[in-house]
Amino acid sequence: MLKEELEVTAFMARLDIKEEEKEKYLADINVMFDYIEILQEPGVASLKPTTHVTELRNVWRDDVVKPRAKDTIDQMLNGSPAREGTFYKVQKVIEAQ
Amino acid sequence: MIGAKDIKTKICLGEIRSVDTVKDHFKRIKKTDPKVKAFLRLSEENALNQAEQIDNKDRKNAKCGLLEGVPIAIKDNIMVKGEGMTSASKYLEHYISTYDATVIEKLKEAGAIFIGRTNMDEFAMGGSTESSAYQKTANPWNIEYIPGGSSGGSAAAVSAGMVPFALGSDTGGSIRQPAGFCGIVGYKPSYGLISRYGVCALASSFDQVGTFSKTVVDSALLTSVIAGKDYRDPVCEPKEGIDYVRDIDNPNILKTLRVGIPKQLLDYKTDAEITKYFNDATNKLKLEGVEIIEIDIPAYRYVPALYKVIMCAEVSANIATFDGIRYGYRSPNGRSLNDEYAKSRAESLGYEVKKRILFGTYVLGAKNYHRCYHQAQKVRTLLINQITAAYKKCDFIFTPATLQMPVKFGDILPEECDLFLIAANLAGLPGITVPCSFTSSCMPMGVHFMGSRFSDAKLFQVANAFEKISEFDTDKYPIL
Repeated sequence: MLKEELEVTAFMARLDIKEEEKEKYLADINVMFDYIEILQEPGVASLKPTTHVTELRNVWRDDVVKPRAKDTIDQMLNGSPAREGTFYKVQKVIEAQ
Repeated sequence: MIGAKDIKTKICLGEIRSVDTVKDHFKRIKKTDPKVKAFLRLSEENALNQAEQIDNKDRKNAKCGLLEGVPIAIKDNIMVKGEGMTSASKYLEHYISTYDATVIEKLKEAGAIFIGRTNMDEFAMGGSTESSAYQKTANPWNIEYIPGGSSGGSAAAVSAGMVPFALGSDTGGSIRQPAGFCGIVGYKPSYGLISRYGVCALASSFDQVGTFSKTVVDSALLTSVIAGKDYRDPVCEPKEGIDYVRDIDNPNILKTLRVGIPKQLLDYKTDAEITKYFNDATNKLKLEGVEIIEIDIPAYRYVPALYKVIMCAEVSANIATFDGIRYGYRSPNGRSLNDEYAKSRAESLGYEVKKRILFGTYVLGAKNYHRCYHQAQKVRTLLINQITAAYKKCDFIFTPATLQMPVKFGDILPEECDLFLIAANLAGLPGITVPCSFTSSCMPMGVHFMGSRFSDAKLFQVANAFEKISEFDTDKYPIL
């Protein structure tokens, strides 16, 4: 991984990385690239990928609202770093033109 | 000290009081935990109140829960309504759970008493409990050494006698490795046996909740309570109301058993004493009539790589939920929404977590997906196929729990140390670590049985039978 790739990956991951941290991340992540190489060894072209080990396919249930305690919404919102009324408060998403 | 099953029986018979039991355990915690640091938070007042309610029941008419009045410790990545849950991360430092995890609902129904929350690696990412953002937990047998991880707090608490049993979670050996290092029983169920609803996700195709205890029977008892279908965890399969304790003493189980030992064990450097005591354990099984079979699973060599690639990919997706918007830490320094996400995560997550997110994001990237993540999933199929073929020749796969003994704080464990445990997560299989012997350094080592999927009841029988022939003293506690 090159420094530019690390910067793109960090943006994709929404992680702010300081300039002075980049060298250590690069060194450690580049060691992990050996794992990717090892996995190219076996002949597995004919095998199906395993995403999970269960035999389950789509698991359906009725779309029914289950009753919750009245204060649930308030409790959920209280966990937020910033709320306004019954909303989560966030930074402005659309910049002015 | 008595085990969970006996505590429950005595409380139900009115021979002892839950309040006295809880007080005894807090006395032990106050004596030992300043050195071990297994607990992040204790809830003494709540526990005593719960215990008092149980003691005030009319014993003649009241129904006796499966865990009536028995103290339990909970890993700090499982939600208990109204309580904090940090996952040992600064991100969740002030988080309060708004609902109970399914396993907690079931424990409450069974009458268990919650003593406190145990330390762990941050978001369960690690094998030493050193990546906790709060404290380092020590191995009770020698406090200069790590207890293993990620559920190191739960393992240390049970090992030191602070609680009779505890809950943990196991994504890549995170219950069974620290159980081995701390000389106790650690069990990870078949994938889909126990609900993960309300448990902080790490890698969802591997994660399972499991148990720690001094004896196999107590892990079986706890599993009987917490297992079962849950509509809120869609991978949970309908294995309802199984009593894993009832048939656990099967006197004939070893006589017809075929146990496979992978020849790949010889490919890895193993501690000389672990090899010696593992061979002794194998001979004890042979003497009981167990047929020992050599099995060949060449794909074991891919286990560390497979685990790292798939786990990190799933981590990057799961940890994306921690964005500083709906709960958790929000940076005051964000200049835009994206900047706020990036700074909130950067300022509150530890290095190990961020490294895994970055590697996971890379292997899932559009350019790399096919060569990295997709390829790993195919190699995962190869491993599963080889393990499935091995189970045609044997009933259980038997290995040391770890290939090395625990290291001192700051030292690094070799990555193949718990390779044979991680295979169980990759293939969704049940596994149990049972303590085996003390080495010359007076620290314990354990062995590991891995069964086929949903062979959990038989796995408990085998582990219980091994415990009886191993001569490991389960009444022995570390002097602290």
